[in-house]
Formats: sequence, C-alpha cells, structure tokens
Amino acid sequence: MIRLDSVSLVYQDHGREVFACRDVDLNVKEGEFVGILGPSGSGKSSLLYLASGLKIPTQGSVFWQNRKLGDLSDSERAKVRLNDFGFVFQYPFLIGYLTALENILVALPDQNRQAEAEALLETLGLSDQKDRYPHQMSGGQKQRVCVARALLGSPKVVFADEPTAALDHVSGRNVMQLLNQHRGSGALIVVTHDPVMLEGADRIIRMEDGQTFSEEK
Amino acid sequence: MKTNRRNPLSAAVYLKRNFAKTAPLMGVIILAVMLIAGIVSLINSIPYSIKVIYSYSKNYVAVTPRGNPFLTPLLRQAVEQNSPVELERVITIQGSGIQVKSIVGNWPFVVLGLERGDMDYYLNRLKGTLTDGRLPTPGEPEAVISEPLARNLNLKIGDILQKPLDSDNFSPKEVKVVGIADSENWFAFSSIEYLRANHFPNIDAFMAFAKTPADQLTLDNWTEKELSGENAVVYTYRKLEEQADTMFNILYQILNVVIGTLVIVITLMMGMLINIFLSQRVQEFGLLQALGYTKRSLLNRVLLETTIFVVGGWILGLGVAYGLLNLVKLTLMDPRAFALETVDLAAYLYSVPVPIAIFTVSLVTVWVKFKKFDPVGIVERRLV
Repeated sequence: MIRLDSVSLVYQDHGREVFACRDVDLNVKEGEFVGILGPSGSGKSSLLYLASGLKIPTQGSVFWQNRKLGDLSDSERAKVRLNDFGFVFQYPFLIGYLTALENILVALPDQNRQAEAEALLETLGLSDQKDRYPHQMSGGQKQRVCVARALLGSPKVVFADEPTAALDHVSGRNVMQLLNQHRGSGALIVVTHDPVMLEGADRIIRMEDGQTFSEEK
Repeated sequence: MKTNRRNPLSAAVYLKRNFAKTAPLMGVIILAVMLIAGIVSLINSIPYSIKVIYSYSKNYVAVTPRGNPFLTPLLRQAVEQNSPVELERVITIQGSGIQVKSIVGNWPFVVLGLERGDMDYYLNRLKGTLTDGRLPTPGEPEAVISEPLARNLNLKIGDILQKPLDSDNFSPKEVKVVGIADSENWFAFSSIEYLRANHFPNIDAFMAFAKTPADQLTLDNWTEKELSGENAVVYTYRKLEEQADTMFNILYQILNVVIGTLVIVITLMMGMLINIFLSQRVQEFGLLQALGYTKRSLLNRVLLETTIFVVGGWILGLGVAYGLLNLVKLTLMDPRAFALETVDLAAYLYSVPVPIAIFTVSLVTVWVKFKKFDPVGIVERRLV
C-alpha cells in the first residue's frame, strides 16, 4: 500500500549535507501495524513524514497505492492526506477555540460525520468532553481527541509520531491501545523511542542515523 | 436523528469565539472610518454653508454699476431689451451689510433695500411666508428676516438687526426686525427708501428674475458675459459656487494629505496587529495543512475572516459617524442654523481607502506567511 524505494532526505546545514534518511526501503501492507523505533535524531519522524507525503524525498520515491507521491501536486498530496490518512502528532495539537467534537470534525470538513465523531468520543471515553474546549481538558484527554480525529472516516493509514511523548506512561499505553483497537482495517505506522508502546505491532523497524537496521516480527 | 452542526472552521465561528481578539481590530477600523468621515463632513460643511446661506441668489442675477452710478438705467435697459429668456421681473435694489455667524467665523450678508411693491414678489420668489410680523414700512428703519437667519443671529421680532455703534452690522439708525419669514432660504430686506436716505453711497442696482430655474441659469450666464466688465459687476450663484470651490481647493489638498497619512498609519498599525494575530494562529494553520488542508483553502479562509471584519468595521464606522454627525447637527449646528450634511456621500467615500488598504495589507501579510510555511516544522514544534 505504501512503498518507499531507496528513499533519502538530505538537509543542508551550513553548506554540509545531512542525511535525515538514507536509502530507506519500506513496504507497508494493508492493515499492518508497523512500529519505527529509534533514539532521538535517528530520522524516524522524517521517515514518517516522507511516507505520509508531508515531505518529498531528495532521492528515491514514495508510492501510495502505486501512485508516486512526488509526482502529485501540493493540493493532490493534501487531498490524499485528508481523505486516506490520519495523523497523531507528538503534541496533542487541537484548535483552541473549537470544542472536542469540532476538533474531531475538522479531519473531514466537507462530510457529515457528526454521529461518527460522537461515537468515537464515546468509544474513547470522552463523551462527556465533547463540548469542552482544549484548555478544559487534560493532556491525556487531548491526545485521545487527537486519536479520535485521526480515526474519523476510517482512514487507510494512521500515522502516529511519538503519540505518547507528552503523556505519562499509563495514558501513553492507553492511547496506543485505543489507536490499535479502533483503527479498523487501516494500517498503523507508529514512530516511538519506547519499545513498550509497540506492543502488538506486526513489525518493528529500528532506525539509527537515518538508516533502517533491522526488522523484527 | 441529530442535526448537523455548522462547519467548525467557518469564518463566523472563528470571529464569534475570538471576539476579544477581533473586536479591537474592528474597533480601530470603526474609529478610523468615523474620524475620517466626521472630519471630512465637518470641513465640507464650510463650503456647504456658503452655498446654503447664499442660495437665495439662485433666484436672480444682480447687477451694480461700476464707476458711474447713472449707468444703472442703461444696464437695466440692456437686460430688459436683450435678455435671451423671458423675464419675470426686474426690480431696483440697494444693499447694506450685516455679518452672519458660521463655524469658521463671521461672513458678510446683504440686507436688500426693496420697494414696497417688490417685497411680496421677493418673498414669494424665495418661497417665504411672513408668518410672524409685517413688511417694513417705506422709509422706516425696519427689516424682515428669514427664519434661518433669525436663528443664526438669535433675533426675534422687535430686536435690533443693525445699529449705529455696531461696525459689523452698521446703520445710522437702529433697524428693527418687524417680520420673520418662514423659508428655507436665508434672506433679509428692508425699505429701499430708508437705505437711500441713510446709507452711503446712494447707488441703485437691480435684480433680474427669469421665469424658470433653467431660464435663470441662461440669463445669469448671458448677463455675466454681456455686462460684467468695466461698467458693471454681475453677481450670480454660479460665480459664488465657483469662488467657494476655488477658495477651498488648497484646504482640500491639505485634507487629502492628512487623510492619506492617517490611512497609511492605520493600515501599518493594522498590518502589524494582523501579523501578530496570524502568528498566534501558526499552530492552527500548520496542523490543518498537515491534516490535508491546502494552502489555498487556508488562505481563502483567512481572507474571508478579514473581509468580514474589515467590511463590518467600515459599515459600523459609517453608522457611528452618521450617529455622531446627527448629534453634532442637533446639539451644535441646528440651534445656530449652521449647515451640516449628515449623509455626505463625498465624506463617506473618503473612508473607502481604509478597508481597501487594510485588506490589501492583510492579503500581502497572509500570502507572504503562507508562502514559506512548513507544516512539519509546526507539528514538530520547531517553529512554534
């Protein structure tokens, strides 16, 4: 479903080339839970952004359902992200002036998904929070709203970048369980530095210095 | 079945829930528009006052001889015999002066001396009705004034219009107000016999009235062309209008510079404020772009929000200006019969550059911001 062929991402740092990712090959199948594990600065987040089309590789190609993401226009890539992907970021980013329910609905703005969003809130134990604003919620609650936002519309892939980093261990595990349980038939790609959070992953890829080192099953 | 909520990212939701942020911006626009429309309306009221005060001269063309007082009959004959339009009446007049009050000081005003038989005609022609008092007795120091003039000078029947020791409103005898005419026009007249006997120099002039306003204009232009020169001075409303416009030409040039500077200052200030508010929303825009919103859709959204508060602020500003001008008119202008247009289109149009400039600056600010926008930097918290 997602294929990365010899993908590299190079930054220029004071005239010096820095590889965020170097010659990475990856193939994610439908419904697969892939964990990307590595220390800070190993390039795992860059890999996630490359796979999701948020960044374009400087070398190699990323394919989504056999379409090369690099050949798509900005708006076509945005459309893919909006309709086919869900995102959970490291920090529980919510829009401050929208309620929990409204924050979930922004994931698919043109569709009538209110009932589904309310069901997701209930599933994630947040039905009493639906009309609350982000400043009225705890960090764990906010990240669960982000999970609900990522799951709205049953995306084909959910990308999660260190989704538990800003949470305590219990809340973090809870968020991971929810993501895994409610992703339906969608694939889940999770980047983390904590192997405990990848419990239940079909595959774990280790990264260091921008390169993938081993795959565990 | 549950009802669908409105789009959470609609401009209305943002503006309503961020009222504390958008209200000050709107407030600045309201104040700027009010200030500009108010100042321009008040300045426009000066030439407007001139036109209102002297609008009675729309009804006739007046001719006074120059150099030789005995030319008057010849000049009159020339008009009567050669007028290009049918004349309704030609009357002999003399004049004495008074001062009327305006928001920029005193202005000269003529108290016409009329023969008794012409007074009724003159009143009718100026759409005046003598509601209080009577017409001046020939040879007596008496005058009729119109209601706006009475209000301006705070005079009532029995009060003194002109007197010997008043250099601005001089007459050798105390001239009493014996009648007040109900009319929109400003005018004053007394007995021509009194003027001939008491005012120096004793020179008759004349006024010619055409039958219709269009004919009057033709007569005015013809008289100016044919008689104005070394033998006569011709007074027409068109000339007065022209002189008033020329007189305020420099004032309007200064006003344009002041308003232009004000617009630039306000626009720069608003540009900075909008920039600050947009910077506070960088996280929101980064998140939405990462989720799959295009730059164009975000740009359109911000511009719609900007349009609503800029246009809303402008309309409210015009409303506040209208309210304030009415208050000024009611409390300060009307009691003194000062002219002020509360719906002065030209003054309101002066405020149009405010929303246009602010919108343009917003457009550029937003466009520049989105052009170099990196959503990954935002969601990774490198740029927030």
